Amino acid sequence: MQKEIDLDLITSYVLRTGVVVSLFFILFGTILLFVRNGGMNHTLSYLSNFSNSFDSHSIPLGGIPAGLAALDGIYYITTGLWVLIFTPISVVFIAIIDFLKDKNKLYVAMSIVVLFNLFFAMLVIPRITL
Amino acid sequence: MTAILYIALKFLSIVVGGIAAGTIGSLTGLGGATVLVPLLSLFYGIPIIYATGASLVSTIATSAGSASAYTREKITNVKIGIGLEIATTAGAIVGSLTAVYINNNNYSWAIYIIFGVVLLGSLIPTVQRGKYEEPLPIKADWSTKLFQLTGSYYDKRLKKKVDYEGVRWWLAEFIMFFAGVISGLLGIGSGALKVLGMDWAMNLPMKVTTTTSNFMIGITAATGSSIYWYNGYIQVFIAAATAIGVLIGSFIGARILMKITNKNIRWIFFAILSFLGAEMLLRGLQKSRALNISLDLEVVISAIFAFIMISGLYIYTVRGVERHAKGN
Repeated sequence: MQKEIDLDLITSYVLRTGVVVSLFFILFGTILLFVRNGGMNHTLSYLSNFSNSFDSHSIPLGGIPAGLAALDGIYYITTGLWVLIFTPISVVFIAIIDFLKDKNKLYVAMSIVVLFNLFFAMLVIPRITL
Repeated sequence: MTAILYIALKFLSIVVGGIAAGTIGSLTGLGGATVLVPLLSLFYGIPIIYATGASLVSTIATSAGSASAYTREKITNVKIGIGLEIATTAGAIVGSLTAVYINNNNYSWAIYIIFGVVLLGSLIPTVQRGKYEEPLPIKADWSTKLFQLTGSYYDKRLKKKVDYEGVRWWLAEFIMFFAGVISGLLGIGSGALKVLGMDWAMNLPMKVTTTTSNFMIGITAATGSSIYWYNGYIQVFIAAATAIGVLIGSFIGARILMKITNKNIRWIFFAILSFLGAEMLLRGLQKSRALNISLDLEVVISAIFAFIMISGLYIYTVRGVERHAKGN
């Protein structure tokens, strides 16, 4: 019974921490955008125009470390959004650990299928052009 | 300087829209994105694919926020949730790729129409939900044992431990696939379909169904969001504002929900939702050139439709409850 308590509590903490960290990055990034009047060499008025051509296609994820170091608001918001995307995914990892402890092979396999779908969406599909 | 102020106001107006959407979404149980997508696309002039992209990301925030509380209380069944995620994540891939395809080929009017139909359709089961707290027992089938669909939770209101057994796992997987498709296509959590899968197909108690559905929404939306991201359909300016707004709104909604005793207030919000659903449907027909009416007429028709639909549902539901009470 002790073990089950751990899993639920850890899941709960991970979810909450993920949301808080991500919101921090998004808020800080927004403040940077306004204070520095834009980011990634675009002005704020360009970025806030709904019909501009600046969208997530224009943001290379590999540029995040340099972007964060340069205090670029766009990269802070991007980091926040990706922390948010990874928050529910990390819960699946915690569940796998628990299923492994229980030697519940069926559910270990099913969790791996879920992770496969997630990473298929992130790593394989971007390389297929529609 | 005035330009910056104007942009700040623009940002804040999206945050406020997000707050309103998050509040109404949690009060009605349909989730913030269901309100946010129509709001952004109909009234803010944001292209619908950016509206669905921003909503999908915001959905993760609200799902994770409230799932954090429910897993702690041990109502959420993480095991059943993850098992069903096989179908929702696969569905989300199909749905978001369809959304990308539709948008790249200028068929975005179809998204409006599907959104309107799904919104109006999911209102009916949501309105009638919550009549029965515990399901009538159904005999366990082969999937109950194989997929370990049993569990229990402590019900605070009934002050007792509730044991339950899920059935028809395959049927739930089937429904969950469509819930995933809808989520990726429309940028919503599609909680109504997830609830249908667990409540109707698997015969799980309502508390377990809603909290597990909420837990699953985050994983489904994460799958869809990453596809939207790589195809360029997430605008950071919009997504930042909606993520903040919807999260604040869902906290406000949850607070109000704990305080209100008169559940009839929810009908006002059901009416707003059906108005938005009708508007989306009409706007989609306009954009496809199947219909040619003025914007004023569009609003009037939607308002009349919302009024008729909600009064009809209200009368039907209230009478049903009264008959139920007499029968007892």
